[in-house]
Amino acid sequence: MGKGGGAVATKKTFAEKMKSREAQQFFVIVTFLFAPLLLLIVFTYLPFMRMVQFSFYNMKYIGPKKFVGLANYIDVFHRTEIFRALLVSVYYMGGAVVQLALALFFATLMVFKVKGESVFKAALFFPYLICGIAVGFIFKFFYARGFVFDSLLQIFGMKLEDIPYWLQDQRINNVALAATSVWRYTGQNMIMFLGAMMSVDTDLYEAAALDGANNWHRFRYIILPSIKSIIVLNLILSISGSLSAFEPPYVITNGTMGTGTYFVIMNRLAHENQKVGLACAMAIVLLAIIILCTVAQKLFFAYVFDNGTDDESKAAVRKRKKAEQKKRAQKGAAV
Amino acid sequence: MKAKEMVALGTALAMTFSLAACGGSDDSGGVVAANLPGIDMIELGTDYQDITASIKILTNRTDIVDTVYKGYAEQFMQLYPNITVEYEAVTDYEESLNLRLPTGDWGDICYIPTSVAKSEMSEYFSPLGDYGSLNEIYNFLSDKNYGGIQYGIPNGGTAGGVIYNKRIWKEAGITELPATPDEFLDCLQKIRDNTDAIPLYTNFAAGWPMGAWDQYIGVTATGDPDFMLNNLAHTKDPFAKRDDMSGPYAVYYVLYEAVSRKLVEDDPASSDWEASKGMINKGEIATMVLGSWAVEQCRESGATPEDVGYMPFPITVDGKRYASGDGNYSYAINNKATEDNQIAAMVYLKWLLEESTIFEDEGTIPALKSEPLPDSLSEFDGVEIISNNPAIEGEETLFDDVNNESEVGINNNDYPDCEILECALYGTKDLDTLMGEWNAKWSAAQESLGVDILKY
Repeated sequence: MGKGGGAVATKKTFAEKMKSREAQQFFVIVTFLFAPLLLLIVFTYLPFMRMVQFSFYNMKYIGPKKFVGLANYIDVFHRTEIFRALLVSVYYMGGAVVQLALALFFATLMVFKVKGESVFKAALFFPYLICGIAVGFIFKFFYARGFVFDSLLQIFGMKLEDIPYWLQDQRINNVALAATSVWRYTGQNMIMFLGAMMSVDTDLYEAAALDGANNWHRFRYIILPSIKSIIVLNLILSISGSLSAFEPPYVITNGTMGTGTYFVIMNRLAHENQKVGLACAMAIVLLAIIILCTVAQKLFFAYVFDNGTDDESKAAVRKRKKAEQKKRAQKGAAV
Repeated sequence: MKAKEMVALGTALAMTFSLAACGGSDDSGGVVAANLPGIDMIELGTDYQDITASIKILTNRTDIVDTVYKGYAEQFMQLYPNITVEYEAVTDYEESLNLRLPTGDWGDICYIPTSVAKSEMSEYFSPLGDYGSLNEIYNFLSDKNYGGIQYGIPNGGTAGGVIYNKRIWKEAGITELPATPDEFLDCLQKIRDNTDAIPLYTNFAAGWPMGAWDQYIGVTATGDPDFMLNNLAHTKDPFAKRDDMSGPYAVYYVLYEAVSRKLVEDDPASSDWEASKGMINKGEIATMVLGSWAVEQCRESGATPEDVGYMPFPITVDGKRYASGDGNYSYAINNKATEDNQIAAMVYLKWLLEESTIFEDEGTIPALKSEPLPDSLSEFDGVEIISNNPAIEGEETLFDDVNNESEVGINNNDYPDCEILECALYGTKDLDTLMGEWNAKWSAAQESLGVDILKY
């Protein structure tokens, strides 16, 4: 095989070419790729391009549309309610951090032998299997005044007067809503962490134990460095998820009482006020914000989680290089 | 060889499709229509006794199609033994009808789906007579006519008012129903002081019951059938306070004040619509501001249906009281059916609208103008029930355009109404400020759409 063979057989007929290994390989790749690529293009890229196009128009779902240039984008940046909605996302980001910490905690517990491990795993993962709308309805009743949560707290001796109005009180309602998404996604994050932790070589634990490492040391110096890429991935997904939080506020409070996230406002503009162009522009602005956040996080983690090479930490490398530079500078000065 | 076959097959397919596409448009029912009588010309019981036909009626009422509706058909068949009437219930009515109507082969009578534009009605439905003469006889015809010809007659209609529990209102010591916003609020206060019931239940959490407040700002608050669809779009500052406490401001004033005086449920954010129906029946809730369609549901949801009453919305305009009446779904006849079927359908429709007990059974305003109001609207004596006039030609979409552009969202966005409650609850803005904002948005929309401001 290889180039030589090809040069000899330049006079191959078309049919023969088709039978060659390369052609077959090519065909298999193309046919296998065709279906997923078609789906991806038809249901993701084409609609996205249409959305970009719509964002430059003043239009409704039905009826004529008018090209307005950047007016929709200017409008987005002039609306105070839109950026107030982004502040609501901060609650969900806080929730995301709590969620990852919890997931990490549970995953670490479960990576060592635990009784009834699979029961706990299943129980924690279960909420993720419920659809978001159903989760919303569950918590609608959970938080309703005098219902599940309040009754539980009363069993523990709290008086109803001391319990806040979970959905009405603006000091607490966004926290309550963010908690529902923590409840839903913790299990899923935990399973991802657990998967990554399973791949850590168990010899390392033994070796560490021989060196006198306790559980915290094992977590900090073996587990954490081994799964850092999964942690970063989960964090990035959760933060961009927080920016586009939709189901809890939409189902539970319908975005009222100051719980309207960016998506809820966008949905309201598009479907109730029929300002499709403006909503598309909002979507694209959000996309830009999410890309910015993701890049910023990437850079941040590249710095924070940088453990250098296998042999020495980044800090050590920096120290060494600095020292070398100093030496060189001194040498130069001496010469 | 293969390629040629493919091309041939492709061409054949393309031809079949283009043929099929032609098929739909060339057989309109215009010719048949000439032989049809107007629905007002038919003499029930005597005319068309010789017609033999079997007709099918489509309905969205899956719950009563085999009981109540079948009963009407049987009564009619005793009167006209040669005509067989059959009902078919359609779940997901609007969606299915959108698909079935264009085929022409769906049955004989249906409710006109909301997706059919006025100008398209003649493609699917037979003319029932001219608008002018039918309008003398039937209620709520203003919507389903085009070019002076009537294509649909509503299955009765509903009036805008307030649901209340008669027993609780009496126990609170109220002897006379309120006629102004302030009297209404005083009554709610009495209920708060003298009973354990929640004076006014907003159903805030469900969203749409808040949007329902918008239904009262038209005829009810102004007495003017042109206000909603014609004048509102041209009015400057329509939400401003009027000295006589009428107009949209008065409606929202009731909501705002009820909330800020703590006359509503403790935690609006966790209110529950399904439960509220039973609660007003039992007397745990005294009042709910909802359309008359909800009355039957509230009556059916508990052991004391006789306690559930319906009163007009408390606004008086120049000493007179008004309520808005809106038609339900409209009946229409398939113009693709045979002539005999169309006539039989018209006979049945006339019987259903004029002789059957359908409106008493459903507790709605009857189709005939000469019939009295149903029992559920007995408190509406002396209250004039009017429906909104349609927008004048050329301005059919003007109200929607201003409404959407301004984002005030009357009757299509619940959030602005929710915001009234929020402002009252947290005390962040007073009603004048809020209504000022609505006016500003309204003006900005009028300006950007180039709408003339007119004085009325």
